[in-house]
Amino acid sequence: MPATLRIRKAAVLGAGVMGAQIAAHLTNAGVETVLFDLPAKEGPKSGIALKAIENLKKLSPAPLADKNLAAAIIPANYDEDLDHLKEVDLVIEAIAERMDWKLDLYRKIASHLSKTAVIASNTSGLSINTLAEALPEEMRHRFCGVHFFNPPRYMHLVELIPTRLTDASVIEGLEAFLATTVGKGVVIAKDTPNFIGNRIGVFSMLATMHHTEQFKLGFDTVDALTGPAIGRPKSATYRTADVVGLDTMAHVIKTMGDTLADDPWHTYFKTPAVLQGLIDAGALGQKTGAGFYKKVGKDILVLDPAKRDYVPSEQKASDEVAAILAIKDPAEKFARLRASGDPQAQFLWAIFRDLFHYTAYHLADIADTARDVDFAIRWGYGWKLGPFETWQAAGWQQVANWIAEDIKAGKAMSDAPLPAWVTDGRNGVHGKEGSWSAADGSYKPRSQHPVYARQLFPDAILGEKFDQGTTVWENDGVRLWTLGDDGVGILSFKTKMHTVNDHVLDGIQHAIGVAEEKLKAVVIWQTSEPFSAGADLKGALGLLKDGKFDAFESMVANFQRTSMRIKHSLVPVVAAVRGLCLGGGCEFQMHSARTVAALESYIGLVEAGVGLLPAGGGLKELAVRAANANPADPFESLKKVFETVAMAKVSASALEAKQLGLLRESDVVVFNAYELLHVAKQVAASLAESGWRPPLPARAIPVAGDTGTATFKASLVNLQAGYFASEHDVAIASRIADTLCGGGIERGSLVDEAWLLKLERKHFVELARTEKTQARIAHTMTTGKPLRN
Amino acid sequence: MTKQIQDAYIVAATRTPVGKAPRGVFKNTRPDDMLAHVIRAVMAQAPGIDPHRIGDAVIGCAMPEAEQGMNVARIGVLLAGLPHTVPGVTINRFCSSGLQAVAYAADAIRLGEADLMLAGGTESMSMVPMMGHKVAMNPAIFDNEHIGIAYGMGITAENVAKQWKVSREEQDAFAARSHERALAAQAAGEFKDEITPFQLDDHYPDLANDTIRTDSRVISQDEGPRAGSTPEVLGKLKPVFRNGQFGGTVTAGNSSQMSDGAGAVLIASEKAIKEYNLQPLARFVGFAVAGVPPEVMGIGPKEAIPLALKRTGISRDQLDWIELNEAFAAQALAVMKDLELDPAKVNPLGGAIALGHPLGATGAVRVATLVHGLRRHKQKYGMVTMCIGTGMGAAGIFEAL
Repeated sequence: MPATLRIRKAAVLGAGVMGAQIAAHLTNAGVETVLFDLPAKEGPKSGIALKAIENLKKLSPAPLADKNLAAAIIPANYDEDLDHLKEVDLVIEAIAERMDWKLDLYRKIASHLSKTAVIASNTSGLSINTLAEALPEEMRHRFCGVHFFNPPRYMHLVELIPTRLTDASVIEGLEAFLATTVGKGVVIAKDTPNFIGNRIGVFSMLATMHHTEQFKLGFDTVDALTGPAIGRPKSATYRTADVVGLDTMAHVIKTMGDTLADDPWHTYFKTPAVLQGLIDAGALGQKTGAGFYKKVGKDILVLDPAKRDYVPSEQKASDEVAAILAIKDPAEKFARLRASGDPQAQFLWAIFRDLFHYTAYHLADIADTARDVDFAIRWGYGWKLGPFETWQAAGWQQVANWIAEDIKAGKAMSDAPLPAWVTDGRNGVHGKEGSWSAADGSYKPRSQHPVYARQLFPDAILGEKFDQGTTVWENDGVRLWTLGDDGVGILSFKTKMHTVNDHVLDGIQHAIGVAEEKLKAVVIWQTSEPFSAGADLKGALGLLKDGKFDAFESMVANFQRTSMRIKHSLVPVVAAVRGLCLGGGCEFQMHSARTVAALESYIGLVEAGVGLLPAGGGLKELAVRAANANPADPFESLKKVFETVAMAKVSASALEAKQLGLLRESDVVVFNAYELLHVAKQVAASLAESGWRPPLPARAIPVAGDTGTATFKASLVNLQAGYFASEHDVAIASRIADTLCGGGIERGSLVDEAWLLKLERKHFVELARTEKTQARIAHTMTTGKPLRN
Repeated sequence: MTKQIQDAYIVAATRTPVGKAPRGVFKNTRPDDMLAHVIRAVMAQAPGIDPHRIGDAVIGCAMPEAEQGMNVARIGVLLAGLPHTVPGVTINRFCSSGLQAVAYAADAIRLGEADLMLAGGTESMSMVPMMGHKVAMNPAIFDNEHIGIAYGMGITAENVAKQWKVSREEQDAFAARSHERALAAQAAGEFKDEITPFQLDDHYPDLANDTIRTDSRVISQDEGPRAGSTPEVLGKLKPVFRNGQFGGTVTAGNSSQMSDGAGAVLIASEKAIKEYNLQPLARFVGFAVAGVPPEVMGIGPKEAIPLALKRTGISRDQLDWIELNEAFAAQALAVMKDLELDPAKVNPLGGAIALGHPLGATGAVRVATLVHGLRRHKQKYGMVTMCIGTGMGAAGIFEAL
């Protein structure tokens, strides 16, 4: 067991874009954080940090999982507040990338730190070993690099870079802290320029830019080819550059040029002419309104370097290339790309070839294993597969031969030979024994660090398989299974997007019955995201179109029975939520004994968007909760949830879901989604061990009554009169209000759950009969977007 | 003109400065404290009177609950240090409550039931929001003919703007002028006579130094007027009550501000004036209130003003000064258009868009503005008028002496 690193309080030095966002995410994670910057020349001395904290509330995507957390960050300055440092267990330095400034700062803070504080730099380019030398000798063993990716809340990757002197226990402690508390994917990197992610990622951008010119392709064409078409983010290449900022891009490229003189590709580490031209013209990308792209009104124009002007952007992949990219078999796809005469295909082959070449060439210097490279690129750049995985999937030897041929023919960007191991007859770098370590000349298994025992299903590398457990019972909709012998069943849906259809409903009810006989608890967990996109609209619309309203109503009743079965199960049912958790999926978690939700959970009762209302017990449950929270005046507690449901709001995080009233205070938030199942099983087992009993049936629920409904309706009248809501919006919301308030009865009347469920069904079916609701459902099914009619 | 037993005279009139709600200078000042402040101040302006002779204190408040519940009138009287013999009654006619209080108090004198009366209004919109803390609507309002009851004031302003064809540009220009006039009036010291400065003593925790920090300031000016509120700046604001894409024109900038404040007047009979050698500021000439459809409540003054003029026998053109409450630029302009009021005479010192609108206090606040203003500018007849939620209008006429 490595020593546990306990971190009560942290300090982030530097309130710039990264520093402030790192502070925000530590705060999300419940780490008390002091955010330092230089003393302000005017106003309050911590003004710079204060302003950065204020700005966190406005950034998109939101760095804070709950805006109220901004108040928890402590603003500070180096003149007055260095005293804070003596209580701090972790310091993350994130100031500008100037060696001299960083060294000065380290000298300044050194004497204020406790004897056990860990110090880490978030530098993305400077040498960690050189930085360590600025620290007093007794601190060097507590210093390392910890490199977050922007935006730090959302990018899974953190590179951890030990120096020659860093204690192993410090790295082990930080790895556990970053993985569990902060929720990050940790890759241990060597102290080489730009570490792993940016070394490979930026090279890939440079190679793409180089070949854009070689093949004379438009920037928008390249983006069409290098985005989702090849498993990379929508922003692809040039849009990413615009978002990052072209000046920042140039700076990163310059760092490579300055620090990698011996790199065989060094000649390419200079700012491409077109990029320099844009910078000289003050077009720095999104922040200045123009870069490779320019937004004019609603249109996005793309730079045409020949015309030196922006032109309408409409480029797509050529038909031939689109057809090649649609091929499922990677080997065939790569063969066809390389063989094609289409410049787009040749371009794609070229960027992959040079990326593979570069990555293989440098693997031994920059990373311990090929796994680390692939994870760094996947988690830091959002690619579906890392470069080695892509290569291996396409047929290692074949692709290696092609690369070698191209090097020989002078087609590759560098004539540096492929490392010998590439062509030693292997079929790849990831295999049963682990992933290839070029430095050690052996395959290495995954890290044995105990923190990874919490990841029952870690992010899998190409070809990696995990124990799929033992099936206890299954039908067409669900599988009930166990993993290990803890007696906790795992219930997973088999449907696409884990939507809920009749098989799932029947399956859940039956599986709970099985669990009551054979198991001690159940966790509803999906083997992949999302938790659930809600009810299967296709089935529902089919019944409506055929006028089968009775069947429709019995489907709704079955939904309600399922929720109630979850709630009143004799073994605790824990919902393990990550990603989307909408509609019926949300109702299931609301009826669970406890929800364990990953931070990145997007939870909502979105039925109003398709012209319906939550009728799987969701509104009933909200009414019950309001009555429990405020029996004397349930209306008071309903105000917030009414808005949440009527506007079909979806939480932007699990923490926000608590604010919206969609998660309970007692529900557990997990920062690392790969630990979700582990935590949920622990919670379920602990509930069982604590002598779980389901809640007693609620038979005396005080409701807000007709006065409550009238008060909600009065606000709706104004929204409609102001054209902020359509007539149908108001009709839906009025029915939501009526259900939440218990119908047209006196306020304070006592009702039971069956009464509220019947109201849900009544309004659901009546709405479903309307043309406008049917139009909404059909529209969402075909476009995936809500219709406002 | 109705024959009355005796005339009623305003012998003292004052008000607090008006603060912005909910985050302005009076955010922590209780409405009963503001009321006690103005009662003490009007009493001080009429030295020598026997407070036991005061028949009643009629105080307006539009959301009389919580800090301003519990019959705030009586609490204000007692907090002001008046003897327990002085009664107090809180009345509510929404935005005209303060003016209605003056009218009811004057009526008690005109009927000969009292020789001295207190009237006023108080409202903390910082502490008690519009519609109060607990809104509970009657289900019966959704029968079509009553839907207007459900309308928020903003929608009624949009309705008036549409029906009376008041454009966004006209509203913004009017709002800009309100700020311009208010700033000029402040610079010229126009409000000095009517405002009794308020000593603020707010206590806040100073966590860093582990002490209590006291914010002690004398507030002597209205907080609302804002330099730079030009039509161009106001024109950039989004309509808040009706979607701009569907013709919405009413914005936060061309609506009255939410405010905190209080005002009070002392009203006396001729007999009391002689007995205590009081200096009357103005004679209360008359008052009228009228009803209009709730969905266009802002047009209320259009009915109330002619009624008040008719009752008092005064013609529109005899009025030198009209304090027309700017609930919304849209309704103020509609009323002015239909009644052909002279824009120069309406709100010469700015209106609620700049000066704020502490609902139930506004009537009393603007009576203080009017009676001091008429005297200072040596004018004779003036009027305070306003629209009232759920569709009413009120107008009171005063004659400077």
